[in-house]
Amino acid sequence: MTADGATAQGPVPLTEAQSGLWYAQRLDPGNPIFNTGQYLDLRGPLDRDAFRAAVERVSEEAEALSLRFEDRPEGPVQWIDPAFRPHLEVIDLQREADPEAAALAAIRADMARAVDPERDPIAAQHLYILAPDRHFWAQRVHHFANDGFGMVMLTSRVSALYEAALTGAPGMAKPFAPLAGVWAEDAAYRASPQSEEDARWWREAMAGMEDVVGMAPGRAQSAHDFHRHAQPMPEAARAALMALAKGLRLSWPDVVTALVAAYCRRFTRTGEIVIGTPHMGRMGSASARVPAMVMNVLPIRIAVDEAMPLADYLAAVARQMGEARRHGRYRSEQLRRDLGLIGGNRRLHGPLINVQPYDRPPHFHGLDVTLHVTGTGPVEDINFTFRGDGTTGLTLEVDANPGLYSAAEVAAHGARLALFLATAAGADRLADVPTATPAEARAELEEHNATAHPVPDTTLTALIEAAMAARPNAPALRFEGETLTYAELDRRSAALASALRVRGGGAEAIVAVALPRSVELIVALVAVLRAGAAYLPLDLDHPAQRIATILGLAQPVAVLARDDAQGLYGERLLAPADWPGEGAVAASPAPEDAAYVIFTSGSTGDPKGVVVTHRAIVNRLLWMGEQYGFGPDDRILQKTPATFDVSVWEFFLPLIAGATLVVAPPGAHRDPAAIAALIRAEGVTTLHFVPSMLAAFLDAPESEGLSVRRVFCSGEELPADLRDRFHRRMRAELHNLYGPTEAAVDVSWWPAAAADISAPVPIGHAVWNTRLVLLDEHRRPVPQGMVGHLYLGGVQLARGYLGRPDLTEERFLPDPFHPGERLYMTGDLARRRADGAVVFLGRADHQVKIRGLRIELGEIEAVIAASGLARMATVQARDGRLVAYVVPGQGYDAQALRAALAARLPDYMVPAALIELEALPVTANGKLDRRALPEPRFEGTEGGALSTDSERRVAALYAEILGLDDLPGAGDDFFALGGDSLLAVRLMLRIREEWGHDPGLAALFEHPDVAGLAARIDAGGAAGGDAGLGPLITLARGEVDLPPLFLVHPAGGLCWGYRTLAASLSPRRTVHGLQSPALDLAVPAPGSIDALAADYARRIMEVYPQGPCHVAGWSVGGIIAQAVAVELRAAGREVGLVALLDSYPADCWRAEPEPTQAQALRALLAIAGYDAEAYPHLQTREQIVAFLKEGDSSLGNLPPQALDGVVRVVLDTNRLVRGHHHRRYDGVLTHIRAALDHRDRPDLTPDLWKDHAMTLDRIDVPFLHPQLTGAEASALIAPALSARMAAAATVTA
Amino acid sequence: MTDAPVTLEKLRADIAAMLEEAPAAIGDDDNLMDFGLDSMRAMNLLLQWEEEGVPLDFGDIAETPTLSGLWALVQARQQGASS
Repeated sequence: MTADGATAQGPVPLTEAQSGLWYAQRLDPGNPIFNTGQYLDLRGPLDRDAFRAAVERVSEEAEALSLRFEDRPEGPVQWIDPAFRPHLEVIDLQREADPEAAALAAIRADMARAVDPERDPIAAQHLYILAPDRHFWAQRVHHFANDGFGMVMLTSRVSALYEAALTGAPGMAKPFAPLAGVWAEDAAYRASPQSEEDARWWREAMAGMEDVVGMAPGRAQSAHDFHRHAQPMPEAARAALMALAKGLRLSWPDVVTALVAAYCRRFTRTGEIVIGTPHMGRMGSASARVPAMVMNVLPIRIAVDEAMPLADYLAAVARQMGEARRHGRYRSEQLRRDLGLIGGNRRLHGPLINVQPYDRPPHFHGLDVTLHVTGTGPVEDINFTFRGDGTTGLTLEVDANPGLYSAAEVAAHGARLALFLATAAGADRLADVPTATPAEARAELEEHNATAHPVPDTTLTALIEAAMAARPNAPALRFEGETLTYAELDRRSAALASALRVRGGGAEAIVAVALPRSVELIVALVAVLRAGAAYLPLDLDHPAQRIATILGLAQPVAVLARDDAQGLYGERLLAPADWPGEGAVAASPAPEDAAYVIFTSGSTGDPKGVVVTHRAIVNRLLWMGEQYGFGPDDRILQKTPATFDVSVWEFFLPLIAGATLVVAPPGAHRDPAAIAALIRAEGVTTLHFVPSMLAAFLDAPESEGLSVRRVFCSGEELPADLRDRFHRRMRAELHNLYGPTEAAVDVSWWPAAAADISAPVPIGHAVWNTRLVLLDEHRRPVPQGMVGHLYLGGVQLARGYLGRPDLTEERFLPDPFHPGERLYMTGDLARRRADGAVVFLGRADHQVKIRGLRIELGEIEAVIAASGLARMATVQARDGRLVAYVVPGQGYDAQALRAALAARLPDYMVPAALIELEALPVTANGKLDRRALPEPRFEGTEGGALSTDSERRVAALYAEILGLDDLPGAGDDFFALGGDSLLAVRLMLRIREEWGHDPGLAALFEHPDVAGLAARIDAGGAAGGDAGLGPLITLARGEVDLPPLFLVHPAGGLCWGYRTLAASLSPRRTVHGLQSPALDLAVPAPGSIDALAADYARRIMEVYPQGPCHVAGWSVGGIIAQAVAVELRAAGREVGLVALLDSYPADCWRAEPEPTQAQALRALLAIAGYDAEAYPHLQTREQIVAFLKEGDSSLGNLPPQALDGVVRVVLDTNRLVRGHHHRRYDGVLTHIRAALDHRDRPDLTPDLWKDHAMTLDRIDVPFLHPQLTGAEASALIAPALSARMAAAATVTA
Repeated sequence: MTDAPVTLEKLRADIAAMLEEAPAAIGDDDNLMDFGLDSMRAMNLLLQWEEEGVPLDFGDIAETPTLSGLWALVQARQQGASS
């Protein structure tokens, strides 16, 4: 068939190979990357006429160069149009000042112009005359028309014709065959059984493939240009590769491909790598002698086992590639469709490895020729191309997508890969071949870690004592309005230190500290250090069993705590009440002595104690002081629990800088409004957030426009958008710090300034005298940019794990690069940026972080195993929440397992969902198949259809905030679905955005189900809703078989203030609040306390028709609770605990002058959480209501009628109390006295209740009356109440 | 070019070695691709033969991937070169 014959054939559809490119070009019509091209640098005497004749003849022979295209309704078509045939265009540049530069610029410009395949000629031929004996011959062909092998054919054919013209010898090259043969073959293949069989083969070959990832993160979509690095392969490397292939009787291109794949896999870090290998597709084909777009890309899955003998690996890959090529005609575009890998970032393969042994330096008769490839089509990710026959030479080109790789990275890959190939060619196994070049290894180990900085060899104790001596009258700390000067801190801590010395507190002894945030806590910590001992913080909220484990491991000589409610401390308890006021101490610990011990989650099931020395923490604190310029005028907020090591700098940086430590009230660290108020009130200059809490803080209206000097983030990844949001909302420096407890809090720093555009935000650079080292699996340094395991070295390393040399040995290794020193294996994965900053990428193991708290999933799994309820279990983190997958064992019961977990683990480690499986899914090689685990449906399966618009909106918000895949049902519970208090705050903020008002957290606690909350929101929107004002609300839900506790409202009629107390009970117990029916203005005011009590007793019996129950109340609530208990007994009901929280009988109040309306109204301030005495100017009803509405309290956000209801109840309370006469309760009354209060009424004693009870049980707590329901007091009161309720159960049982 | 003339049996032996087959298993008219001859292996053979003075190019072997086809070409070229 002739060219004319093909023309006569008329338009034909595109081949499969062309179709893929057609649609890609149509999606991005302006993209010139579809131009392929090259130029030859011809040196010597060129016979221009002979050359022109050769090119013209080849342009005619190669029909593809004359293709025209048209997009028609039935699809794109093509035909050969001789009018579009490219003719050689000769451009004389000899008059240019720099002809070569002019030629290159012209070539570049030509390549950079996108061709419109429906209008423009598809190919071009240019000859640039630079000098009489120097020419550039440039060819450009759109990828629709030709491929790489086709380009080689064009060049060879022109060369052969030119040579024949000059020498008269015909040569052996044959003319090109017609394109029609290629078209026919393509159509025939598509309809053939072979195609079907190939499809089947490929689907099988690709079955079970994981998502393909590249060597660099990001989306692999071709840009408009690419980075190019080209270099000749060093002679020794080339020779070694050829010798290797020959020795193994393998084709050298397959050997090179297998080795490059192994190199690439080190960057993808996947078990197997999927490479793309161009397949020329000409063997046994009509296209054997046709320039055309025929090339296919075959995806090859290579599971690289670096430990196996290299020869075996290479042979296996070569075999695999040979097999794939047998099915190489099946188009990869079609395979992508078959596998559903279309759209998004789903890919068929990663790096392209293109070995072209046919692409040899061209010959031109009588000329010196060099080839320069200017484009080979789209570069989606990174292409490694080897040109040359291997015998006479080999060049390496690295082309890469500039959206994914920098030019420097591309060049580095080229140099590194050449060295890798040379080394691998002589290695027994791949595992022995390092990735980094010697220069890269040196940079990683030394240059990026040149952090030597002089630090005095001293102790934290000495630094604090020096600061105390330097500025005795300066304020050392502020707590709830109280100030302690350095002199006072000096006196009190010295006194306590001397008492600790007596108990054995000295160097290497441990003193446990179990105090809530308070002045005593700071005095305690400083005193322990001054005694020369190490402090061990304990979290009061942790289960007793866990605390007992820690105490058993640490063997503290003393425990500084308010009481021993759980009976864990015994003789070791040293309560603040027993601390001496005076005393001297002269202990001076050594820098190598332990300063503190902090316990973290341990994968073996028990927490492990990290022992940090003075020298380590001194380095950390002095670095921070200097790095950020801390001085005496700084006020640093302390809000991190002492058990979390961030607290260490919060506590001590101010105390060694002579600054002021502002101690947040207990519980405040979770309350954005309280934090903002504290920052403003105390002039805080510096504070810390775990990023997730920072996000919640920025969401709260109170954070708008705040200004402080510095905010530090650490504990979890700082998202880039959070950094940006921060700077839009607040004025402050933002710093990102990183470090494990095992290396004295933080080891790296990064200024996350407003101008920083890093994404992700790095963890940055090493602090003083510290090394951050990235190593591969064989503990060799990785090159810059490659993911590695992060190891830490230097002065800040902890001594190890208390009493666990085995665990210490596992994690703290001899530093192979610095003999005599150690490296700590963080278990984190990271990579280093070009500027040396380190970027955290995740965990290499099963440690996770939930809200900054470090959790070993293994610890939770161990607890499940120890429960004996499950045969197998795995715990996973999904969307920031924990999910336990369990295979039930004998006697399995979800409630029992939940209880077992709650008894051993802190709250944040108890899985939010339990999913029962018949077996854990495993992969082919027997490992847990995480991908096969079902997505959690967080608990709460009541479901039910969503019926109102509000329900649908609330359900959507639940799904958004809890990250649910499906909308929850009307009956689904926010907390059971995985919600927690932080998420509850977010939910309220979102509801406020959506509806313009939110029903308050109380409503959520009362109605955590979708339907209930939606109804509350709707009621609040209508005039006079009663959000959270119902007569019986639920404050906490606990185990169903435990008798419930009813808490009776105080003067305001509301029970919201009891939330903390209700949540603090252990074991968890259902707690209801009885609220005043008079909050509803439509309900007549009650006639008497007894009438109220009868009403409340009736309500209790309605919801709990049988069984025992407990009652309690604070203030007036206690008076009512006693009356309720009398009513219940009279009705024959069993009553367990009856607790009165600082309540005194009505008789005490009858003689008092009746309070004014203003006094009564001011009680509202206290109810709303304000210190009433701080606002003496608020006197009238209007002033107080306006103030409450302006503020951020839940009371202020009540609808107007509801607030009126509260005012009414407050005003009516006095009348009721004065008119009340107690009946005797025939049982035990437990009285909890606010021991620090009532100085002006010494007559208010628990004994006043003697006449109204059978027995009186007294407890004193060191608080004021208004503080009794707060978090700190609850921490003390809740265990006392829990113990009594438990005891009551055993008596009644 | 080397002096020793290329024989059909030498081509068969070289191809068999590259494809890890016994020479006897490869018939004159068998399609070599059925034995796993692919472009990379073909290229390796061509490079080896080029060193030994056998005048074939990739197009030849790609167009006619049979022993008899290759042998015909080799004979024609050797005659052409010696005439």
